[in-house]
Amino acid sequence: MDGALMELLQRSEATAALIIDKGGPLICQSGDTDRFDTTTISALAAGSFCATQAIAERCGEINFSSIYQQGDHTSILFRNIDEDLLLIVMFRAALSVGAIKYYGDQAAEGVATQIQKAHLRAPETSIDLVSMNVLDASEVFRHSEPPPAQAPAPVKKKKPKAS
Amino acid sequence: MAIINQATKELQVKIVYYGPGKGGKTTNLEQVHANVKDVKEKGKLVSLATSSDRTLFFDFLPIEAMAIKGFKTKFQLYTVPGQVIYNTTRQLVLRGVDGIVFVADSQYDKMSENVESFQNLEENLISQKLNLANIPYVLQYNKRDLANVAPVEYMEFLLNNRDVQAPSFTSVAAKCEGVFETLNMITRLLLNKFINESARKGV
Repeated sequence: MDGALMELLQRSEATAALIIDKGGPLICQSGDTDRFDTTTISALAAGSFCATQAIAERCGEINFSSIYQQGDHTSILFRNIDEDLLLIVMFRAALSVGAIKYYGDQAAEGVATQIQKAHLRAPETSIDLVSMNVLDASEVFRHSEPPPAQAPAPVKKKKPKAS
Repeated sequence: MAIINQATKELQVKIVYYGPGKGGKTTNLEQVHANVKDVKEKGKLVSLATSSDRTLFFDFLPIEAMAIKGFKTKFQLYTVPGQVIYNTTRQLVLRGVDGIVFVADSQYDKMSENVESFQNLEENLISQKLNLANIPYVLQYNKRDLANVAPVEYMEFLLNNRDVQAPSFTSVAAKCEGVFETLNMITRLLLNKFINESARKGV
């Protein structure tokens, strides 16, 4: 996926490219990404694209495969990869969106093919979380000030009555 | 669906705060954003809201915290709009959810909205081909500081009357009481679920 994004950027002269999950998480990125808050852009793009798909269904379309937003300095293109993934390309507004779409389509199809191959190659492969050192989850998030004198404890459970 | 990147040693999980309108979902995120400490990275709280501060699309807060040694754990906290008319938006936000915090309003006159919202959650999960029985979730009974609140036992009976009960907490989100306890519990449930699934697959 990194290779596909780098090739896309080289050919199209786009600024940055992201592959994201349609649930919001960023999968990978390439290019001049320091300029952008790519984590938040991923979440917003996923929501925006999914909302657009919902509109497409109500218009009698299967989907709208891409979204293009034109800015004064930076434009952005969303391109559907497959059921779960989305390609986002950010580029200078002076560039031709046609070229971006052309190379974006190639990149999206290439990534989709690779994902398909990966699924078929090792569908049961997972990560061994059992061997990983999970820290005490009760202290992952901590308050910046001392907790109040009586912090809420979990509600005590009563056994449900048999019906 | 959690995203695990073995190459970059990253785990990304999505937690959605769900519940009736004006129940305290956005307040939970605001309090986490304002008060969390010792996290590796805390992003901006993005709120897509109306001019009267009602959530229109979703709120989003990314936090990177140390939950697994040697692995960057990125938490993506979302809220949904609670108003009834935004049901389609709630379905979209639930996509790829790993854990849910249901924020209920403890006021007596909000009980029917709490129940409707919980049923709506179950229906929307089904529409996403998900099942609440397979998703870790925590209940938060918010606004306990108000005058006309229902007893916790009553709320447990309405929202948590199952063979397997979910963890629940009382809270006053506006004062950050119960907020971190709830978030830490859903984090623990999520990590336990991933570990158990990993063990079951025999990896």
